[in-house]
Amino acid sequence: MRAGCLARAARYALLTLASLVVLFPLLFCLSVSLQGDTVAPRLVPELGKLDWRAFVEVFRKEHNMLRWILNSFVVAAAVTLGQVAVSALAAYPLAMLRFPGKTFFFFFFVGSLMIPWESTIIPNYLTIASLHWKDSYQGLILPFLASGFGIFLLRQSFMTLPKELYEAAVIEGCGRARYLASVLLPLSRPALATLAVYAFLTTWNQYYWPLLVIDDPAWRTAQVGITAFRSSEIASFNLQMAANLVVMAPTIVLLVVGQKQLVSGLTAGALKG
Amino acid sequence: MAPAIAFLCAFTFVPFARAIYLSFFAVNRNTFHAARLVGLEYYRRVLDLASSPFGDTYLRSLLTSLEFALMVVPATIAAAVGLALLAREKLPKIGAFRTIFTSTIAISIASAGVIWSIIFSPSVRIFRGLIELLRLGAPSLLTDSRTALPAVALTTIWTGLGFNFIIALAGLEAIPRDLYESAAIDGATGWRAFWRVTWPMLGPTLLFLLVMTTISSFEAFTQFKVLVDSPGPNLSTNVFVYSIFTAFWMENNYGLASAMSVVLFLALLGLIALQFRLDRAVHYQ
Repeated sequence: MRAGCLARAARYALLTLASLVVLFPLLFCLSVSLQGDTVAPRLVPELGKLDWRAFVEVFRKEHNMLRWILNSFVVAAAVTLGQVAVSALAAYPLAMLRFPGKTFFFFFFVGSLMIPWESTIIPNYLTIASLHWKDSYQGLILPFLASGFGIFLLRQSFMTLPKELYEAAVIEGCGRARYLASVLLPLSRPALATLAVYAFLTTWNQYYWPLLVIDDPAWRTAQVGITAFRSSEIASFNLQMAANLVVMAPTIVLLVVGQKQLVSGLTAGALKG
Repeated sequence: MAPAIAFLCAFTFVPFARAIYLSFFAVNRNTFHAARLVGLEYYRRVLDLASSPFGDTYLRSLLTSLEFALMVVPATIAAAVGLALLAREKLPKIGAFRTIFTSTIAISIASAGVIWSIIFSPSVRIFRGLIELLRLGAPSLLTDSRTALPAVALTTIWTGLGFNFIIALAGLEAIPRDLYESAAIDGATGWRAFWRVTWPMLGPTLLFLLVMTTISSFEAFTQFKVLVDSPGPNLSTNVFVYSIFTAFWMENNYGLASAMSVVLFLALLGLIALQFRLDRAVHYQ
């Protein structure tokens, strides 16, 4: 009994230690943001002299801060909705229907996974630039609406549902579109959630593409914005860290609120996909 | 299906074909049109077959990417599996620890770069001891050619921890309990149970993580742009994607940059094929 108690205490100690290591950069970020204007910040701020003014100062110095976060939200939400819709419409016939060329289309979609985005970025940039879509939502959103990963993931999930279900629905007079909307999609909720979370996070995280197609400061996404802010306030560590926390807050809150869904969603996809 | 086909053609297949086409031409930097056929000249330059005046810059940058992947991939997966083993048992309050271990998934690489650039800043003394120990001539890990790449790798490992942890934990939870019970009857507990049960059962999860992390570390760009914003001290952080960016964005040499994009595609394809073959060799011998 005693040994078990000791082992459990040791495990908690290890867990706490690991948590501190993982959280260190975030805690340090918070610590620096509260230390006022200094270029030699301490590891831990003096608790009596916390200086919260950086969080106000950030918005005074950079009027676009909230606009950047809004831009990122619009782009990430549009790409997420688009990818889920486009992938579902492509995965449905691949999983359920019989038609000529089905194998070809399957390899067409899976083949797109083999091409790294970085290998297509130059022609894509040239296209967007000659369409005059720089500094616009369509330039940031349209290139990412279809994803081979999403189609593959949803096809795998649709195929786990029994064929008899489809046949029974057809006999009952259920059309193909209605079957997709009222049977397939509700039953595939975990896979849809996986795709949505994955699409949202990768789009929110994007940096290279927005860096290329944005010139106007108002059109920056949060990621491009925060690095630009850093370059303009290179000597004010507290402002850099406060701005960074402001930009990170939405996704951190989302993580804490939606941790359970995120974990079950991502894991369902990784194991069955 | 039509929208998916249209979008994939417009933004993946056609651009990729165009990149291959452009890689054989000198491209006009104003009209973006292919101007003069140069054949395999750019490929020769990238792979250093003609020993061009550019020296071994491009080939070396490809090797730098490989070196970076070797630093990042095993360490990230090992750290994530370690955390997952630690957080595996359903103890009270384990949810809080799991959220903490997942937390870096909510932090973008750009934000991580901004934080770590302060951590590596010369006026912050966190790495002072290490710098003195290694007798670096430089004031920061990022400005010495021996430590710059490992420093960027450290940032990358931290950023990738959240995603890898979630997948590793899911892989562990999918292992049936009774396997451990029968292993215990055969006298295998602790480390032996790990090697006999956990390790082989985790195989597919590890392969998935291996492929995903290799791809993402080979395509890494953001952390290099934010932390170093140049080819680095003595070209030590000039990874392949960064040198494509230089040829494309700084030098506007669209033909050369396209040839490099095609080489990137082939290199990744080769790496992933190798990993699947290795996996087969390990699991079906």
